[in-house]
Amino acid sequence: MRLDMHSEMILEEYRSQLPVFERLQEVVLNQLRRCLDDHNILVSGLEARVKTEKSLTGKLELKGYKYRTLDDITDIVGARIITYYSDEVDLISALVEKQFHIDWENSVDKRKMLETDRFGYLSLHYVCRIPKELFFDPEMPELNQIRFELQMRSTLQHVWANMYHDMGYKSDVEIPVEYQRNMGRLAGMLELVDEQFSRIRREINDYRRNVQSLVASGNFNEVPLNGDTFRSYLELKPFHRLAEKIAAINQAELYEDSLMPYFKVFYLLGMKTIGDIERFRNEYSEGAYQLALLQLAGTGLDIVACSVALQNLCIVAILKQGFGEAGLLRLFGLVYGDSSYNEQRAQRVYEQAQKINLV
Amino acid sequence: MEVIINKQLEKTLVEVKGRIDTTNAEQFQHDLMPLMEGGPKDIDIDCSGLEYTSSQGLRTFLMLQKSVNAKGGQMVLRHMNPMVKEVFDITGFSNIITIL
Repeated sequence: MRLDMHSEMILEEYRSQLPVFERLQEVVLNQLRRCLDDHNILVSGLEARVKTEKSLTGKLELKGYKYRTLDDITDIVGARIITYYSDEVDLISALVEKQFHIDWENSVDKRKMLETDRFGYLSLHYVCRIPKELFFDPEMPELNQIRFELQMRSTLQHVWANMYHDMGYKSDVEIPVEYQRNMGRLAGMLELVDEQFSRIRREINDYRRNVQSLVASGNFNEVPLNGDTFRSYLELKPFHRLAEKIAAINQAELYEDSLMPYFKVFYLLGMKTIGDIERFRNEYSEGAYQLALLQLAGTGLDIVACSVALQNLCIVAILKQGFGEAGLLRLFGLVYGDSSYNEQRAQRVYEQAQKINLV
Repeated sequence: MEVIINKQLEKTLVEVKGRIDTTNAEQFQHDLMPLMEGGPKDIDIDCSGLEYTSSQGLRTFLMLQKSVNAKGGQMVLRHMNPMVKEVFDITGFSNIITIL
């Protein structure tokens, strides 16, 4: 189909302004990326595009009469932010409002447009401009005048929109009502799933905050032992004093390393709460120090890793609980993985422990 | 102390022989410096000929591991004799450095 003369003029204007659109697309993407990074927001997708001539021609063929000039078409440059959770859309839109000039008259919250008994496309569309304070290129001042469209939606909303677009818009054949109804049912289901994901995330965050405050307040017996609680507990540096005491044997430098590999060992030792780790630390610290003294004194080694404290605590606990050399072998297997060195190490440490009456 | 470096396409093979102590620890670090600056990402160090390492040697291994990790590579120490392995164990360096 041929375009009428008015649409042809709009298309010609598009061609002449294409370099500005491309530059705008780049600026928008950079500004959005920076904004998300500055606020530590992880998103599932961030994309921008300039409408192709083919796509614009199609739009003009269908409804060219609606547009007086190219400026009336606000989605020549379009960007999209796809969030992991639906409740992040509002947060991001608030940040976007601070960054860009929003053309409220042409912006639309499609999440609020559906009737209560209908399910379908949910997305927030802002028509924006780049304020000069944010970005200005004296060689391209028109860039600040051009409007662009920014869509914000969750991953599941994005999936549904893509599928719907693929099945509906691209086909020349109108979709029968039953299929449209099935798409609507799917939209309802995804909306529910989206909401549940957000709810689960909120509950997990509440749980973490609660556990962190219990750990911080020292109510260790009430804190169940798991990866999260152990990490929070380590922030209190519970093994640091022992590590410093061990380092002092040779006036050594203490190197901070990860203690997380020892988390698995606490299960082996049957610990259930952070309180159990506290008791373990208090009970076996002296033995752990004596073992380090035997191993390090006179070696002149003046650097030790912080994990030595926890390593020796575990060794002493295993021996005191009667697990013997086999227990040490299991400990080294858990911490270092299967290694040919583990057996000789278990044997050597067992012999050292015998010298200081740990077994 | 002797360091032999053999850069291959995918990894660098390093052989360390003798004792790393106060008399040559600086030389050891100097010998490994080119590996911290460039070359393949992964480093495989054969320690079968290494008889002893002091704290300075441990620091150099640590420094090399950090530079390898920063490039997204992996450093592995192999065939360590029991005496050298004990130095890594009692200082906690077996927790930090991969020893196979």
